[in-house]
Amino acid sequence: MRNSHKSRIFTYWLLTALAFAAGGAMVAFYAPTESTMGNIQKIFYLHLPSAINTFVSFLIVFVASIGYLIGRKAWWDDLAAAAAKVGVLLCSVVLLTGTTWAKGAWGTWWTWSPRLTFSLLLWLLYVVYLLTRSSVDSRQRKAMISAVYGIVAFLDVPLVYLSARLLPDLHPASIALAPEMKVTLAVCFIPLTLLNVGLIIAGYARAGRAREQQRTEGDHAPRPMNLHRLGGAA
Amino acid sequence: MQQVGLLVGKDLRIEARSRQTIGLVVVLGVLIVVVLGLGLGTQQGGGVAATAVLWTAYLFSGVLCFEKTMGVERADAALAGLMMAPVDRSVIFVAKLVSNLALMALVSTVVTAAGVLFFSFDLSAAPGQFIGIMSLGLVGFAAIGTLFSAVVSSTRLQGGLLALTVFPLSLPLVISSTQLLLRIFRDGESAGGQALAVIIAFDVIFLVASWVLFEWVLEP
Repeated sequence: MRNSHKSRIFTYWLLTALAFAAGGAMVAFYAPTESTMGNIQKIFYLHLPSAINTFVSFLIVFVASIGYLIGRKAWWDDLAAAAAKVGVLLCSVVLLTGTTWAKGAWGTWWTWSPRLTFSLLLWLLYVVYLLTRSSVDSRQRKAMISAVYGIVAFLDVPLVYLSARLLPDLHPASIALAPEMKVTLAVCFIPLTLLNVGLIIAGYARAGRAREQQRTEGDHAPRPMNLHRLGGAA
Repeated sequence: MQQVGLLVGKDLRIEARSRQTIGLVVVLGVLIVVVLGLGLGTQQGGGVAATAVLWTAYLFSGVLCFEKTMGVERADAALAGLMMAPVDRSVIFVAKLVSNLALMALVSTVVTAAGVLFFSFDLSAAPGQFIGIMSLGLVGFAAIGTLFSAVVSSTRLQGGLLALTVFPLSLPLVISSTQLLLRIFRDGESAGGQALAVIIAFDVIFLVASWVLFEWVLEP
């Protein structure tokens, strides 16, 4: 049973690695080079799927946070925490690829363009979510505070987006994609989505095991000595 | 309403007698304006820099203000007593919000006067619009601050964590109101459009969300 579980996990990550290899090969050899920006535009095949998966992760944080407030089940909190960690990781990828793209396209690592600013603010919002979790000792209190922050932060996301759009924009309104580019982009969504889902499930399972282990250790921990029965003066 | 009035009266009476929070917060706000004025020197750009400087001072002063008003309740387990009283928790939220807004109104008046003086920020073109936009911004900021002061006051990090949580959440307000004020005072345009809509939406969303969520986070 345990071996079959391990082989399923191995197969999943092998598929993810193969999907990454296929996506990378298509970006390198199949997708045409964009005429204005050149090869740097190819970063787009990592940038956009990461951005979409970031939103998916943060949406999961929001849903799990509401789930926790309603049901008060610890697994909702585990799911929210796992999704937030993966979301921050993917948002970091979005920021890094965004700044690299900015350097290649506009000659500067950073510009306060709406989309870069939005990515930075989004990253900050959820880094704070993770920091908040690490600053609370009580497990139930941590879950409660995180759930409230997870809801408020997600409600803030559209407002951050709309306010960032007030800043002057350097981005093209849209990039005209050739059919080969669209196919490559669609293929590149597969490994990023597999990675997102796999990491969230792995984080969620790890948190569940840690909780179970804590409970087991609590059951087997030595009980406090009853001094009354020993005739002590406690 | 009567219960809200009683609780706000209690908070303001405590502040009037001790004058602990307001003195500290006003001086901090003015200090921030002075430090940024000195740092920016002659590169201030008049009203362009002033709006951002004022928001910086409001944010730091506000966080200290929220922390202190909730800290009063934490001292001597006053919050536990308040929670045992036959008062709905949403009433406690509204009362804390009004108390924070009253203190922030006082602080922002002094800080804005300092900003106008040190940055030669000419408000005469549209003083009413300036007051309206900043007031709307402070309502949303106070709503978030009041909610998270209750959240954070029961954790280890307290003050640092309050700034950490409230600042990124308040950034839509900062961006929208500074862009709107730039349009009014630098470009001579009228208020309105998407920036004003974002500020109003922020206020509505977070007044409702904070009011609903406050009872989940309040703990003696």
